[in-house]
Amino acid sequence: MAELVTGLSAGAAYALVAVGIVLIFKGTRALSFAQGEIGAFGLFIGLRWSDRGVPGFGWHLPLLMTLFVAVAVGALLGFVVERLVMRRLVHRPPLDGVIATLGIALFLALLEKQWFGAATQFAPSPVGSWRVRVFGATLTAPRVVALLAAAAVAVILYLFFERTRFGLGVRATTDDATVARLLGVPVNQVYRFAWVVGGALAGLAAALLAPAFGGLTPFAQTSFSIRSLAGAVIGGLDSIWGAIIGSLAVGVIETYVKGHSSIGGVDSLAVLVLVIVTLVVRPRGVFGSAGAV
Amino acid sequence: MSPVLSIEGLEAGYGALQVLFGVSIDIEAGEIVALMGSNGAGKTTTLRAVTGQLRPTAGRVLLDGDDVTGRAAEDLVRRGMVLVPEGRGMLRSLTVEENLQLGAWVVDDRSAIAAAYEQAYDIFPVLAERRRQIAGTLSGGQQQMLALARALMSSPRLLLVDEASLGLSPVMTETAFDLLRRINAEAGAAVLLVEQHVAALELASRAFVLEKGRIVDVAEGAAVAEMEERLKVAYLGDGA
Amino acid sequence: MLSDRRRLFPLGAAVAAVALTGMLSEVRLAVLFSVIVTAIAALGLDLLVARTGELSLAHAAFLGVGAFTAINVGGRGATWGIAVIAAVAVTAAVATVVGLPSLRIRGLQVAIATLAFQDAAEKYLFTREDVTAGDKLLSRPSVLRTDTRLYLLALAALALVLLVRRRVTTTRAGRSFVAVRDIGERARSFGVEPGPTKLLAYALSGAIVGLAGALLATHEGTIGTATDPFRLLESLQLVAIAVVGGAGSATGIVIAAFLVKGLPQLAGGDFLRDWTPIISAGLLVVAVVAQPRGVGGVLRDIVDRALPKRATPSPPVEGVDLASVERPLALRLPVPALLRAHEVSVTYGGLRALDRLTLEVRKGEIVGLIGANGAGKSTFFNAVSGFAPVTGSIRYRDVELLQTRPAGRTALGTARTFQDMGLVRAETVAENLLLAQTWLADYPSALGILGLGSTVRRERELRRRAHAALEIFGLRELAGERLGDLPYGTMRRVEIASAVAAGPDLLLLDEATAGLGPEESHALAGTFLDLRAELGLTLVVIEHHVPVIARVCDYAYCLESGVLIAEGAPVDVTADPAVIASFLGTRP
Repeated sequence: MAELVTGLSAGAAYALVAVGIVLIFKGTRALSFAQGEIGAFGLFIGLRWSDRGVPGFGWHLPLLMTLFVAVAVGALLGFVVERLVMRRLVHRPPLDGVIATLGIALFLALLEKQWFGAATQFAPSPVGSWRVRVFGATLTAPRVVALLAAAAVAVILYLFFERTRFGLGVRATTDDATVARLLGVPVNQVYRFAWVVGGALAGLAAALLAPAFGGLTPFAQTSFSIRSLAGAVIGGLDSIWGAIIGSLAVGVIETYVKGHSSIGGVDSLAVLVLVIVTLVVRPRGVFGSAGAV
Repeated sequence: MSPVLSIEGLEAGYGALQVLFGVSIDIEAGEIVALMGSNGAGKTTTLRAVTGQLRPTAGRVLLDGDDVTGRAAEDLVRRGMVLVPEGRGMLRSLTVEENLQLGAWVVDDRSAIAAAYEQAYDIFPVLAERRRQIAGTLSGGQQQMLALARALMSSPRLLLVDEASLGLSPVMTETAFDLLRRINAEAGAAVLLVEQHVAALELASRAFVLEKGRIVDVAEGAAVAEMEERLKVAYLGDGA
Repeated sequence: MLSDRRRLFPLGAAVAAVALTGMLSEVRLAVLFSVIVTAIAALGLDLLVARTGELSLAHAAFLGVGAFTAINVGGRGATWGIAVIAAVAVTAAVATVVGLPSLRIRGLQVAIATLAFQDAAEKYLFTREDVTAGDKLLSRPSVLRTDTRLYLLALAALALVLLVRRRVTTTRAGRSFVAVRDIGERARSFGVEPGPTKLLAYALSGAIVGLAGALLATHEGTIGTATDPFRLLESLQLVAIAVVGGAGSATGIVIAAFLVKGLPQLAGGDFLRDWTPIISAGLLVVAVVAQPRGVGGVLRDIVDRALPKRATPSPPVEGVDLASVERPLALRLPVPALLRAHEVSVTYGGLRALDRLTLEVRKGEIVGLIGANGAGKSTFFNAVSGFAPVTGSIRYRDVELLQTRPAGRTALGTARTFQDMGLVRAETVAENLLLAQTWLADYPSALGILGLGSTVRRERELRRRAHAALEIFGLRELAGERLGDLPYGTMRRVEIASAVAAGPDLLLLDEATAGLGPEESHALAGTFLDLRAELGLTLVVIEHHVPVIARVCDYAYCLESGVLIAEGAPVDVTADPAVIASFLGTRP
């Protein structure tokens, strides 16, 4: 039970990124491999400003602010990526979009290495160091916040899609972008929305995950975005609920495997097996709709 | 009086393939015009070029005298021209009411939208019964109704209807055309009816025939009804 | 015969590369060595991504698999040669297994699976001591003792890989890869099986990367935990090199590998070393968006302008009999009806696209299939060629087609064209004609790569057939042109030519005159009559333009909403009130 809770908290952070991935996929049909690095980049900046002070101001950023910086920079990066790159690939075969996001991930990761060094950057928790005991598991502050954030995101997105006009527009674009355009829905704004929110969520996830992972390393983020991608694939690439549930499942399995085996890296192996099994047995994912990919 | 819609010398195609070779059509306010043609004649391409989905290689599209060639559909909807696309363009995962709501996307005035809902449910009581039903589960005839109702939500002055009869039985096609007649009369919207079926001739005050990207025949008033014979030759060739 | 001056380039490059051994120090040659290793790995990746359309993010892991296999095998006492072969074989096998999901799903998600594999390899596989074999050593054979010799070995390996790539491109394997990439399932109508084709691509790609890994291991001797070259970063950089180099251009890729891996090391300076990878990542994004054909494409354009290509002499076509194709006797006997469809129904979801259609096509007839939109005409063709879920019976020469795989139906004697063009626009006309004859290239794809005598002969024969088919349509001068660059009507005619080249008895043409003007339609209709007269073909043509039917068909069937509503001589069918009503939308 304790493991279950710990696993869920890990999965919650993956879920935040996975929701962004699915949002982008649903809205724009593009599969983004760059979410991990987009999230990490902002966090790197935030941590640097916290550690060495904001350039020109000399003011050291309080830890909580690093989280907001990560979210803001993530959103900004999402905006830039959509505007400069992804918008031009809307009519291209999906593979082009994937390769572009890989290029962006590579670019950001190498830039991080160049500017922030290749060593692991110490990432203290932005939300304090309190702990909570739940069902026998001890959860650190970032993990609790991740769980709460994932729940909040799920609720907010639900309300957004069902109750707001723009949310309806996003759903229309997902259903049929051509028809949505014909009705006057600003499809380009929908694309932008998907990428900005995806970027913001990635930043939030990075800030909450890095403390648990022992710090922030260039390229480690692409590694953890594998978990999020896996979660999205398992849950269904075009289902937000699927992304959340799939990621939670990945988190639980990863924690369980790590806890019961002393061999290094078996959790990666477990994720690989999960992905392959899903792709072979039910390619659309548990909650995905047929013909989506 | 300047026509609501004026298409002048429109040329368009898809990459290497040219489909339209100088199409010219005009529509006056409040009238119903039929654009007839068999498959492959270029009917849908014409509508695509007019609504900004396809960039014309030559020619102009004038809405109320303003040049709107190549303008995006959003702009055109605001100016009062709405397309009911081929296959009806249902947003299948959304409900009837949500589809209607999207039809009014460009309308800012709340009371106008409320009035539009009322009018829609008045003309189409079947939809009122099913407002929470998912659009993808509606029958073909009901989807046609939803498509027309949705188009009406922005109180357009001109409706472009692409093959309303597609996939509908002859009876349902009659119903659809009756609805268009009613919309034209009650809502005062002009209609450009793009069709393959001759029943459209009964509605129209003017008709154009499109063949292989060119207008080959035009008729007005009483002459429209006599087009049927000439259409037969256009579709099936002289041997018939 | 004057030799093509363009051939001098590779020769010159090879000579220069070898000459470098005399000019550069061992340290610099070692850098070039790692450039070549990277280039080979990128070439292997390129085969999979560019040619087959499958994105692999695991190629650095494959490199590791190759290297560690070589070390393990060599370290346990096997000779160096065996170790290398083992590396190639094992990596090929691993790559094939990783590629298995591609049998069921398309590109995007396979990329995720490869990424998961890369991660699992990095975190698990390469941390195991029995894999990394830090205590084992792959010793070089004495002839390769110096780094200079190693460099020459790498050059030889590169030459081998380039040769293999060339063999792939000019044989059935390469054409199948491209077909799977661009037209997917439709490739079956040419006799290409997408599943085995993809797996072959993975295997080949893996083999090439395995070779690179073995080279790396030879240089290092032992790797242990220094697994940096096998990390995700390297996988991504390989993708960058393959794309920036120019998908499919070996020269471009080698140059890109040099720019990314070699230049910073050789030119020295921190700036280059730090920023080259970053710039190349940026270039990757730019390359995808702007879609230039990479460094290779730019080079090719320059060379094309400076030294225009001499047209490859087309093979002689006298004496080529397109109709003489080897078939079992049972499939050559005279029969009353070539094609018999009985109560054929096709249902998509809830929609009945064809409802118990029964029709017959007799040998030597030209049969017309007409009907309004959505009548089910193309659906019938799909049923015959195997692209629709069918109940009922379709017998071709008394062989039940529904029990034959789509790829096998071409071998029986049917061929078809598609309403929206089922050919590969990115390839030349000649390549497409060869692709359409895949079932005739009856050597196993893998053997074709080896270049055995029989495959060379068979390829030559297919080329002659291709040109003979083009001759019928007056398209021979266009053989070397890229299909996508041609006018629409010409593309359609190429598609018919390719169907004819496959040597069928029964040719199904779907809207062959769509997009053609009246004169062109008229001329094409005349060609149908020629095909029957000279090649003895039986044709079924779907036409919206009914006058064509009236001109060439002996018999016509009219469909409406999946049901047969009239049949008979064209003149009778077009006068039939039910048919007229169907087209005009009136009630009969």
